Amino acid sequence: MSTENETILQFAPWESFVSPTFWHKLAELKLDYDRLSDSKRSITGHYTNRNASGCLLEVDYTAYNRTAQPPKFSHAAIGTIYNKNTIEEFKALDKLQLLVDEGKALLADMCSGAALRDPSLLTRFFVLSFADLKCHSYFYWFAFPCPLTPTLKLQGAVQKLRDLANSSSYISALKSLPTESQNFFILYANVESNVFEARNLSSLDEKDIELCYFGFADPSEYEHPAWIMRNYAAFLIQQCPSLVGKPIKFLGLRHNQQMSIDDSLVWQVIQTEACDLSQSGDIKFVGWELNKNGKMGPRMVSMRDSMDPAKLAENSVNLNLKLMKWRLVPDLNLEIITETKCLLFGAGTLGCAVARNLLSWGFKHITLLDSGKVGFSNPVRQNLYMHADAVAGNRMKATTAAQRLKEINPSAETAGYVLEIPMPGHTVGESLLAQTKEHLKVIEQLVQDHDVIFLLTDSRESRWLPTLLGAAKEKIVINAALGFDSYLVMRHGTTRTEAGDVGQEIEGLKCINGDQLGCYFCNDVTAPGNSLKDRTLDQQCTVTRPGVSNIAASYAVELLVALLQHPRKELAPAYYAQSGRGKSEEAAGKVPEGLLGILPHSIRGMLCNYENILPATQKFAQCIACSAAVLDQYKKEGHAFLLKTFETAKYLEDLTGISEFKRLNSEIIDFDDEEFDMSDDDEN
Amino acid sequence: MGDLSWKDFLTQAKQFLEISQKLGDNWVLEQKDSNEPNTYLKCSQKIKGQCGKNAGDLVSVEYHVVFSVSYQVPMLFFQAHRSDGSLLDVEATWKMFMPESKASDLHQILTQMDHPVLFRPYMALHPCRTAEVLKQFGKPSCNQVLSFISLYGPHVQLHLQNAYGLSQEYT
Repeated sequence: MSTENETILQFAPWESFVSPTFWHKLAELKLDYDRLSDSKRSITGHYTNRNASGCLLEVDYTAYNRTAQPPKFSHAAIGTIYNKNTIEEFKALDKLQLLVDEGKALLADMCSGAALRDPSLLTRFFVLSFADLKCHSYFYWFAFPCPLTPTLKLQGAVQKLRDLANSSSYISALKSLPTESQNFFILYANVESNVFEARNLSSLDEKDIELCYFGFADPSEYEHPAWIMRNYAAFLIQQCPSLVGKPIKFLGLRHNQQMSIDDSLVWQVIQTEACDLSQSGDIKFVGWELNKNGKMGPRMVSMRDSMDPAKLAENSVNLNLKLMKWRLVPDLNLEIITETKCLLFGAGTLGCAVARNLLSWGFKHITLLDSGKVGFSNPVRQNLYMHADAVAGNRMKATTAAQRLKEINPSAETAGYVLEIPMPGHTVGESLLAQTKEHLKVIEQLVQDHDVIFLLTDSRESRWLPTLLGAAKEKIVINAALGFDSYLVMRHGTTRTEAGDVGQEIEGLKCINGDQLGCYFCNDVTAPGNSLKDRTLDQQCTVTRPGVSNIAASYAVELLVALLQHPRKELAPAYYAQSGRGKSEEAAGKVPEGLLGILPHSIRGMLCNYENILPATQKFAQCIACSAAVLDQYKKEGHAFLLKTFETAKYLEDLTGISEFKRLNSEIIDFDDEEFDMSDDDEN
Repeated sequence: MGDLSWKDFLTQAKQFLEISQKLGDNWVLEQKDSNEPNTYLKCSQKIKGQCGKNAGDLVSVEYHVVFSVSYQVPMLFFQAHRSDGSLLDVEATWKMFMPESKASDLHQILTQMDHPVLFRPYMALHPCRTAEVLKQFGKPSCNQVLSFISLYGPHVQLHLQNAYGLSQEYT
């Protein structure tokens, strides 16, 4: 035969294909059995020659079973896993030496005849790994050792089984071969005497060897035979040295989906040089798998998404939000929600409900501030506490709530601060001065460190300091206050200034830009004037219809989310239909909508008639909490100023000139009312 | 709401398995424990990624046909993983099965749900319209499980051989 039409036969390299269950089981074995031991462990893999994709060697959780149980239509491969204890050991291990050691074991099986009895020893592989069980990261490197023997030259074209003469006889002979022998076998084809037999590899005999096709289950989908043929050929030539220099016929058995083997391939090859594998000292080995970049190197996979329960929860929570984004609100910005840090003043009925709603929306940073303990009346309304918390007698609301939030969503970053909020008109005694100053510092820092301040306390005066700090530090402030069956939820006007569009003028609508909106203290807090009896929101805050707090808390969080989604955020204008000018309903329909609908300044609602109204009101130039006079004084004097206001609220009234105003209408500001005193058993 | 009872599901799943075995397919019936509904049909295959930077990379998809107690219909759950064992999330799954059409109906029904037998998040085709779809499917079928797989499977590249439809005794 001329040498011109001889090409060197190439092989399709193995591609490792790992099931997630392989890593799950490895983690379990490492934690429960191996612990600190890093001795090697026998494993099995499998490959299929039915409707093969690529040239895959697969491993799953069954790899660690004592005996190989390859799935239907698959064959077993024999392997070893070297799972190291540290990434350093993984890196430092002598990879060449490991390959040589494994390769020598393979050669021993080839030379001893063990591979003749159990040909699956020819499909040998090993895995070097390191499992970082804390981070759920797996570093691994597969190798399929193979001795570097003289090349096989391909003689003639690759042929399909069905194109061979006598193919139907071959096919019927092959059909009689039991599945478990299909990995490596011999097709004996004596055309002259019309004998066609599929035989076990163990019947290998040098006699009549030229009449044999050396068959193997071929997992390659390519024209090249799978890598296993390389070991197979080396083994056959070692067993039958007379094959050197003679044409050898290999049959790569390939099933399609319908189990037809017509497309199996036949390669006729020749190895011209001899090579004695029993002289293993001289043999070199190849077989480390290339990584995804086609380089010699290990691979790494992070299994956090499927193995870390916290991550599973996080992903599932995010999924609900993402579905909202994907299906209903494509422009929804979920990143801003995860990044926004919320500080809740008050961890009572409102605080608990707001915190839970924040978790539902995917907020991650939630800090609660409250000075109270969990009382016996609390758990039924304050949905982060249990009866046992009250029985314990020493559980503080802020810290307990923070811990519960974390239990609900481990990926949330929560904190609780047990702090009294200093209030105007509540004199600080000499003995408490140092502590109050200390608390003030903490509160100022907390406000500074967060993006959003929620006012959820039960008294009006406890909202003063957070309102002032929110304004002074240019934060978004969301306020919720309850009456017996009424509620007020509002966003405070911002002190942040930024150039940008001002609100549009729309007929019949009043428009107030975000920096012109009032705060809680700019406005009278009387419930909307309708036919029903007026009730001030704060005065009866400890006695409310239970649903009110949940409604208000939900509105508070939804208002914040709508605000965060607005291109101008807290600078977004608020519109409201001016009543008394007719057509107010028509005008209300024209309020410009953001991503999640309109963005009102405030929501005032009543349970007794199930109605909301959405007033927007201007900043009050003499406001005792957010006016320039107050903010300037705070910036100038700091704690000294605050302490003066705690001494007497009158100071504030004089400072803002409101005393004058109050004289004219003493109904509006009602500051020193003793009824507002916080009590221990209130709903906070 | 469908009209398939758990017992019917089990019977039909077993019939389906018989056909599969006759045809040499690799479906198996998995039974987890004794808490019904505890049994589902399972099979897996490799699929080549179609788009993006990983086009051509093989992905292994495991399909589960599970009984939905609340909808009384069969449900298709599945999980796909790459060659390193990492799972495809919903977005990656969508990209694999719907490279182009964003407005596709599949967008509405392919989601992630908790597997009713394994209690882990799995990809699923939502069962809300299955009963309706099965009813529209020509003459009433004797094996709803088989009809269901042949109707819903192709959306996620699960194609049954035509021979399933020719097993007259069950369809």
